[in-house]
This record gives sequence, structure tokens and C-alpha cells, in this order.
Amino acid sequence: MTDLYRKEIEIKKEQFQYLVSDLNSPLNRTGSSFKIWIGFLLLLIAMAGFMYVRQLQQGLGTTDMRDIASWGLYIADFVFLIAVSLVGSLITAILKLSNVKWATPLTRISEIIAVAALIAALLIIVVDMGRPDRLWHIFVHGRLQSPIVWDILVVNTYLVISILLLYIPLIPDLALLRKTMGHKPKWQQKMYKILSLGWQGTEEQFRIMNLSLTALMVIIIPVALSIHTVTSWLFASTLRPGWDSTIFGPYFVAGAFMVGAATVIVTMYVIMTNYNFKAYITDEHFDLMGKLLVLTSLVYLYFNLNEFMVPAYKMKSGESAHILGLLVGEYSVLFWSVQILGMILPILLLIIKPFRKPKPLMIISVVVVIGAFLKRFLIVTPTLLHPFLPVQNYPESYHHYNPTFSEIMITVGSFAGIMLIISLFIKLFPIIPVYETAHEKGFPNEIINNS
Amino acid sequence: MAKLNTIVAILIFAFSLGAYSQTTTWEVSADQAAKKNPLEILPKNLALGRNIFKRTCVACHGEKADGKGLIQSTSLIDEKFQKQTDGVVFYKISTGRDKMPPFGAMLKEDEIWSVINYLRVLADPSAIPPPKNVKLELTTGEEIKSITATVLSADSAKLPLSEVDVHFYVKREFGLMRIGEMSNYTGADGKVKVFFPEKIVGDSEGNVTLVVKIENNFLYNDNETTNVKKWGMPLLSHEGEFSRRALWGARDKSPVWLLLLANGIIAIVWAVIVYVIYNLFRIKKAGRIFFK
Ligand code: HEC
Repeated sequence: MTDLYRKEIEIKKEQFQYLVSDLNSPLNRTGSSFKIWIGFLLLLIAMAGFMYVRQLQQGLGTTDMRDIASWGLYIADFVFLIAVSLVGSLITAILKLSNVKWATPLTRISEIIAVAALIAALLIIVVDMGRPDRLWHIFVHGRLQSPIVWDILVVNTYLVISILLLYIPLIPDLALLRKTMGHKPKWQQKMYKILSLGWQGTEEQFRIMNLSLTALMVIIIPVALSIHTVTSWLFASTLRPGWDSTIFGPYFVAGAFMVGAATVIVTMYVIMTNYNFKAYITDEHFDLMGKLLVLTSLVYLYFNLNEFMVPAYKMKSGESAHILGLLVGEYSVLFWSVQILGMILPILLLIIKPFRKPKPLMIISVVVVIGAFLKRFLIVTPTLLHPFLPVQNYPESYHHYNPTFSEIMITVGSFAGIMLIISLFIKLFPIIPVYETAHEKGFPNEIINNS
Repeated sequence: MAKLNTIVAILIFAFSLGAYSQTTTWEVSADQAAKKNPLEILPKNLALGRNIFKRTCVACHGEKADGKGLIQSTSLIDEKFQKQTDGVVFYKISTGRDKMPPFGAMLKEDEIWSVINYLRVLADPSAIPPPKNVKLELTTGEEIKSITATVLSADSAKLPLSEVDVHFYVKREFGLMRIGEMSNYTGADGKVKVFFPEKIVGDSEGNVTLVVKIENNFLYNDNETTNVKKWGMPLLSHEGEFSRRALWGARDKSPVWLLLLANGIIAIVWAVIVYVIYNLFRIKKAGRIFFK
């Protein structure tokens, strides 16, 4: 009897060790393709950096932003990145609190996407500034009445919470890394040691950890909703055609959940195929994420209907130039491509089961992500080109906005930065939570602690 | 190596030849060149010519018309240029070439001729007599608010001067606001009158400063006279409005409800964050106990 029991424990231990080495395998495999990938990203970032230095020297004239269209690609990028970052709260907090178990392998993916996107968003805002050396003015002279100040407060708060939500579930995994990564460079071992906080897996430690996680998950939901709501208020609180809308908050949040879900699908596909994680990120996961994407897209579709149908029905004289520009005018091709290819078609396809298989789902998600980016552009720029007060005596070119090479490169650089952060993270930490996976597979804590 | 040098030399020669031919041949037919300038060199025409030049040509040809504007163009005051007949210059301005825009569609014929006159005078200021001093007086009509400028010769004879361009302004916070026309010419009695517009805001008592100027004139030196009148509407003070707490108020004037709401939210959220960070230390401590 005791022999049998001991044997069972031995087998479980072995199984657990196998699980750990499997999930930690990306840390031990650094092929040349990875190095090329990192080099490629660094090259893009360097080009963006070069363009930014040029912009600093010559001023915002290197962009195509002028008096009328004073916001362009950078702000569209900012809104897009903020939207993407919302997925962290969707997957880790909302699904978790509603006791959805299947999302566990995706929590860390979505959290690191959130953190990386937020860092890029904060940087791109500085890039958009003509005088970044005056950034500190907002802290010294900022007025609490201004939505910009709220945005700065809430984005930074969300970043802190996201980092904590990424870090705390990582602590048990870090303790495991400390034990298994003896062959890694000194600094890396030291990092694991410091970050694992002397984790022993005692009941008290688990209790405090779970308490902290619950507190964070509860608080992150209102904060996440407000970061995108406040970002939408940056637009909605100004009197402009197309922005002067009461549903901008929920409209943005709904769009954010949609693009966030799509981003996670693309990322998990890349991770699944690259590191052969088929056993952890299964077809079932893709199927469920596909359904989530349909759900969020349907909500977004509903808000789009409200956002464009109602003003188009009324055709108020001040707004009509803007709405006609989108529906049938200068921006109509982009507008309808985004609405149809980036929202309606994905919904129609994804309600059919075969399209929720990993590969088709991934391709559809890429289209959704691209569409979502262009949608942000459509929200920002056409409005600026149609102010309520007529514009006179401007050069013809001021009436259009076509991002310059410099702007495009810097925006591409921001995406490269995000991918760099995620790629390096995967090489340093297990991207699929080891402890939580083991826990859900029924390994008792003693085995996890003592292996 | 020698071969390379020859190639380079040939290339440079070819290019400079191309550039040379580009700058020389600007064909103007004989009857175009023979066209006569219908405008005399008069101060009135010159002022018009200068206004057009300042507005449309300076960007490329430079303040002094020496060809050094924002881009390198050609000098319009050097001898080579001035040798051309008015007809040739007229044709070139009207039709343009390369970066030189065709102004025929944008300017009236008279305007182009007056620019040409101005260019002639710019190259050779002796074409017009040296400017003279004048006496400029300002009188006001009270029933219907009006301003009359009187221009008299500066000598003891004080003869009225006609056809003098006078500019009228009202002083504002950051500069002068023009009233009347762009050009107001004096009549035979040396006088010209403009009406003061309604609803001009003055200082807190309604005082406005009227300014009358002779400026940029070819025949007379700059001159200026001012007068203060209680013609404006008094400036209403909004002090009270700005010193109360409101959404549009300054940093220290934010509404109380906003302060409470915003700071309340910040306090609650950050309390949770601080609590979680404190918990990290507790986790660390709990691990140490286990060791003992
Ligand atoms: C956009 C820049 C630009 C503006 C504005 C411009 N010019 Fe020119 N102009 C040029 C250039 C460049 C040339 C030389 C063209 C060539 O030789 O091919 C030129 C040539 C000329 C010539 C012929 C010079 C010669 O050597 O025979 C004249 C005359 C002239 N400009 C007058 C004017 C006048 C008058 C105006 C204003 C009404 C004006 N330009 C405004 C760029 C400009």
C-alpha cells in the first residue's frame, strides 16, 4: 500500500518534471532564426530612432501634420495600442473572475501584450509632442479639469497594475526557474533569485498571493474600462464632427476587446507553432477564442451601427461633410474596407466552426488587427479635416493628411518594440504559466514545491 | 583611372552645358518684346507694385529682389536683367518658366506693369525724387464718429498735398487694427476722412487710441499722429467669473466635486496597489519563516 503510494508519487514527480522542462523549453532553445528575428526588430527600432532624432532636429514638419490635421498616425497608433492593452484585463481578470478555466494558458500572453503595448503607447505620445522637453509641464501645470491629465493618470496606473498582474502569478514559476536554470548566466540566475522573493510555496505565501491577485483582478476591471473610456473622452469632450458623441466610451471599449482578442489569437498561434505547444494551446483554445472574437465583434458592430447610422440619418449640416467623406467621399474606400473586411466578414466566417481552426482563425485575426488599426486612423484624422468652423487661406495640402515615411517608420518601430519585448520575455520567462497549469492538471503542491 | 577622369569631365561638361542652355534661352517674340508699359512711374502705381511684390514675389526673389529668397531664383535688379525691355519682362512674368509661376492668370495686366515699374525703381532709386517731409494733422468729427487726416507741406507755406496715401488704425492689445481702406488718398484740400466703426471695444472706460500714418510712401517720409478718444465700448471685466471654481478655471480653481471624485478614485485604486506591493514583502517574509 505505502509502496504503491510511493510509486504513484514517483510517477507524478516525473510527469511534473517533464511538464516543467517542456514549458520552459523556449528558454533553452535560442537558434539562429531567433537571433535574426531580434536583429530584424532592432533594425526597425534603430530606423525609427533615427527618424525620431531627425524629427527632434527638424521639428514636426517631418510629419504631414499641419494646422488642420494636427493629429495623425501617432495618435491613431496610441489609441490602437491602448485598445490592444485592454486584453490583459479581459483575459486575466474578466474571464478568471467569472471562473473560466480554459483561459489559464493565455493569461500570461495577454498580460505581456498589455504591458508591452502600454509602454509603446506611452512612448508614442511623447513622439507626437512637438516639444517633448516640456513633458514635465503636464505634471507641474496640468489641470485636473483636463481629460489629458486623467489619461496620463489612468494609463500609468493601468501599467502598474498590469505589471503586478504579470509578475505575481510568475513568482512560483520564478522559484522553479531558480531551481532548474542553473546553467544560465549569473545575472539571469540572480534575477530569478531576487524576483522569486524566496518563494517556498507555503500555505501562507499562497494565501497572500491569492489575496493580492483577487484584489488586483477586481481593481483592474474598472481601471481598464476607464483607460479606454478616458482615451475616448480626449476626443468626445471636444466639439468636433464625428467625435461629439455620447457613446464614444463604450464604443472604444468594445472595439478594444475585439482587437485585443484578435491580437491574443495571433500571438498564441505564433507561440504555439514556434515552440510546439500544441498540448497546452489546443484547437479547443482557438475555437473558444474564436467565439470570444465573434462575441466582441458583434458588440462592436452594434456600437458602429449607432455611431454612424444615427448621425447619417440626421445629416446635421455641420457634420455632413465628415459623414459623407467617410461613407461616400475621400475616405469611403478605407471606411468600407475596414467595416466589411475588418468586422462584418470575420463575424460571418467565424460563426462557422471550420474557420475557428487555428490557421484560418489566425489569418482572420490578422485582418481584424490591421482593420482595427486603420479604424483608429479613421476616427482620428477625417474628423480633424472637417472642423465646424470653415477653414480659409490654407495651402491646398493642409486639407489632406498623408503620413510621411518618417511617421510610418516610427509607427512600425513601435510595433517592433512590442514584439521585441514579447520575444525577449519568452526567452527569459515561461510564457505559459507553469504553476497554474500544473495546479489545474491536479499536481499537489508538495510535488510542485519539492521537485 | 585616367579614363574615369575623362568620363567625369565629360559628364560635368555635359551637365553644365545643359544648365547653361537652360538659363539663357527664354525666347520672347519681337512683338511681345516691343509691348509698351502703359503706366507712368507714379507713387500710386509704385505703391501697388510694391504691395504685389511683397505679397507674391519676395518668397522666391528675396526682399531686395536679388534672387535670394527661400529658393535661389534670379536677380531682378542686376544690370543684365534691367537691360531687358518692359515688354520682355512682362512676357516672362505672365508666362513663367520652371519654378517661376505664370502670373498672367493671377495678376491683372496693370498689376504686372506696376510691378515692373517698381522693379525699375528698386534697381535705380534715383528714378524718383527723394522723399519729402510733411505735416500730418488729425481731426475728429463728433456727431458721426469720423477721423480726418490733413496732409500739409512741412515748410512754412503749409500747402495742402493731394494724392497722398494715408493709413488709419485703432490700437489694440497686440498691434494696430486697420480701419478704412488699404489706401486712402487725400483730395485737393489735402484731407481724407474715414468713419470710425461701431462696437470697437476700448479700455475699461471706452478709450481708444486712433493712429494715422503715412508709411512706405515713395514721395514722403514716414509720419504718424495719434489721438485718444472715448469712442469705444468699455471693456467689461470678467474677473469674478474667472476667480470662481469652474471647469474652465485655472489649476487651483478646479471644482470641488471634481477634486473629490478624481482624488477619491486615485486614492482607492492606489491604496489597492500599495496593499499588493506591501503583500510582496509579506510573501518574502513568509518564505524566511519557513527556513527557520
Ligand atoms: C515660386 C518661386 C517664384 C515666385 C513666387 C516668383 N518667381 Fe520669378 N522666377 C523664379 C525663378 C526660379 C526664376 C528663374 C526661371 C528661369 O530662369 O528658368 C524666375 C524668373 C523671373 C523673371 C525672369 C528673370 C530673367 O532673368 O529674365 C522675372 C521677370 C520674374 N521671375 C519676376 C517675378 C515676379 C514679378 C514675381 C511676383 C509676381 C515672381 N517672379 C515670383 C521663381 C519665382
